[in-house]
Amino acid sequence: MSSKPQPPSSSPPPNNNFAVAFCALAAARTWLSLTGFSSLLDHNQLVSSPLTAFSNLKEGIFLFNHDIDPYSGGSFRQSPLLLSLFTTILPSSSKPLASLLWTLNDVVGAYTLVQIWRSRQNVTSSRRDTLVAAAYLLNPYLFLPSLALSTSSFENTLMLSAILFACKRKPSQTVFTLSVLVQLSLTSIIMVLPAMLLLITDPHSHLASPQPIQTSLRKLWPLFGEFSLYTIVLILISTVIAGSWTWIPQTWGATLMLPDLTPNTGMWWYFFTEMFDHFRPFFLMVFSVHLLIYVAPVCLKFQYDPLYAAYILLGILGIFKPYPTLSDPGLFVSMIALFPETYQYMRHPIVTLLLHLHAALLMPLFYDLWVVQGAGNANFFYASTLVFACANGAAIVDALWSGLRVAIGETPEGYVVVQE
Amino acid sequence: MRLSFFLHLVIGILSWSWAAASTDSQEQIVKDFFDKNSNSNNEGSTHTNNWAVLVCASRYWFNYRHMANALGMYRTVKRLGIPDSNIILMLADDVSCNQRNKFPGSVYFTPDRGVDLYGDNIEVDYRGYEVTVENFIRVLTGRMEPSVPRSKRLLTDERSNVFVYMTGHGGNEFLKFQDNEEISAFDIADAFEQMYQKKRYNEIFFMIDTCQANTMYSKFYSPNILATGSSELGESSYSHANDHDIGVAVIDAYTHYVLEYMENVNKTSHASMQQLFSYIDPVKINSHFGVRTDLFTRSLDNIRLTDFFGGVAQAEIVSRPETDNTNINRIEEEEVLSERNITEAHSRPRLPNQQTISWWSYATSPQYKQLRIWSSLVMLGGLIGLVFSRK
Repeated sequence: MSSKPQPPSSSPPPNNNFAVAFCALAAARTWLSLTGFSSLLDHNQLVSSPLTAFSNLKEGIFLFNHDIDPYSGGSFRQSPLLLSLFTTILPSSSKPLASLLWTLNDVVGAYTLVQIWRSRQNVTSSRRDTLVAAAYLLNPYLFLPSLALSTSSFENTLMLSAILFACKRKPSQTVFTLSVLVQLSLTSIIMVLPAMLLLITDPHSHLASPQPIQTSLRKLWPLFGEFSLYTIVLILISTVIAGSWTWIPQTWGATLMLPDLTPNTGMWWYFFTEMFDHFRPFFLMVFSVHLLIYVAPVCLKFQYDPLYAAYILLGILGIFKPYPTLSDPGLFVSMIALFPETYQYMRHPIVTLLLHLHAALLMPLFYDLWVVQGAGNANFFYASTLVFACANGAAIVDALWSGLRVAIGETPEGYVVVQE
Repeated sequence: MRLSFFLHLVIGILSWSWAAASTDSQEQIVKDFFDKNSNSNNEGSTHTNNWAVLVCASRYWFNYRHMANALGMYRTVKRLGIPDSNIILMLADDVSCNQRNKFPGSVYFTPDRGVDLYGDNIEVDYRGYEVTVENFIRVLTGRMEPSVPRSKRLLTDERSNVFVYMTGHGGNEFLKFQDNEEISAFDIADAFEQMYQKKRYNEIFFMIDTCQANTMYSKFYSPNILATGSSELGESSYSHANDHDIGVAVIDAYTHYVLEYMENVNKTSHASMQQLFSYIDPVKINSHFGVRTDLFTRSLDNIRLTDFFGGVAQAEIVSRPETDNTNINRIEEEEVLSERNITEAHSRPRLPNQQTISWWSYATSPQYKQLRIWSSLVMLGGLIGLVFSRK
């Protein structure tokens, strides 16, 4: 697995292999979504959060169709754009059609990931395409929320599309996709900076040759302006859909104020369950600012390879988001397929894998023990989510180390690389 | 200045007298409702809700039957429709989880152990050492610390029928609580009088199953109390059945026959108190039970068992009343407004909600939601097309 970019005019490896394999994967996913397995996940809180659950979406559609403002209560917290799409063109009442839609969304996401990989390698096709597509389509962290029809799958696809447009140097499309993504999930705003840096540089792997950013940062200003413009237009469109401004406190406000403390795979809910009201505003501010403080350091450190910075920030988003589902860290785990140059420098991949296995097996178990059977308590489940956060954290730390280590290269005999 | 004071006075007197008149008419409406639903000679019930206070005042394992008495009454009363929120159950001891109970978690009241009175759906409000004379009187009179929770309060009102059942060891005009204190018939009579003064009951049915029980109700002096006891002065009340596995008597005779009769009663039953009392045979229970009816206006034939044992009340569906209420509200509003007009030099305009219907509220009204959705989708599509057509 060399990281040398191949010249684009070389004879491509058999492309139809990838097409066949991709179609097989897509068919397998379609078959899986149409079996009854997805009904088991309907009320699972690990794969969908109050902001993304399909049942909440249906509730909002029902309220909307019955002339009740869906944002007047606390059950519907999705963006008005989704509300408008699902009340008109997209299927919500028919489960098989909705499953097909979500599978199509995942197929698009997988194809986008493959295209990102290809543009990183600067080829039109490579031997690893199938592996990358499989890393996305077969990742349980990603297909379980998709089976449960959680709208976080759409957020993942939009994120990958934004990154792809940035790789392809298409400024308007990148910025527009990002502003649609921010409409769906406010915390994705931290991805704006790395995506824009990716736009003005290139997606190719420069991990081996760190240098300060060459292009002028002045180019970012018009991009930010365009992003703000699109955001304002989308806010206005959303307000027209919702009929009032109440959607803002219900959707974005939920991310900032955490009104719903349903247990999920994240770190916020337990803290705020046991917090006294006196301290709540302060800690809400702390947790929100905590997400923001990672943007600048990561982008500064990986200014020569913004795709890697985006990758790291996606991992951080997966851990510290207010209402995560499994698909947020799942995207990070799948994107590891894009960076094979870092594999040999990872220090503890086995530990990370085992932590992930530990958490992935125990989280649903402890949740069932606590909520369904009543034999355990919240601490069991919270401990397993802490292990999950440790697993993701270990993955990020290892990714950071290996990403930086690539720059140092092979060490001669007798030398050891240490971290000061 | 003098004119304003005079006008204030006139308006005050007018509004007070009008309010007084209107409440009288409201009373009349209520009375007509109850009269309409009662049978002849206006002897139907006039209650709207039912409450029950069930007290077992004795502790220790050998008083198993007293616990079973109270729990049997609890079960009957719940079965006939009184909800847990309207039942105050006071058990001085926990026999179901007693170490001597061969069937832990269960309380039986028949030797064949057919029915478990304890189960997993009972709500004991006062348990163990909380069952004291003071707490019992506080429950009846409603004079409690503000911190006492709602489930421990008797929140009756003027139209509540209250069923008070007491069982334990008693004697001439006293009932023993917890083996260390006693409540006298005078205490209970005074508590009921307090309830009467504070309009905390419509009618009370007092039942007591102890030795020399009839003495306990001899001192009542408040109206609308029907009382019954299991034995006369000088007589003991006997237990009914022993269970050889549990090792103690499981039910008292008087209560057993009452419960046995109540098994055939359901929520729709019209069975009367007279029928219940006719069923109980003084020979079989080895004591002369008594009934005190002099404080009660209705005759025993006209009192249904569900008036006290069940949560059944009169109801009828009426059409919306004529605009008496709306007239009342409007008159009140106009009076307030006119008062304000006098006190201030200028009249304040009404809230402008209903006047200017802006285009925004027009556009957000429900009939335009389809238009909004499709127009916003068109806008979104246009935006997407615009964005993706750029380089």
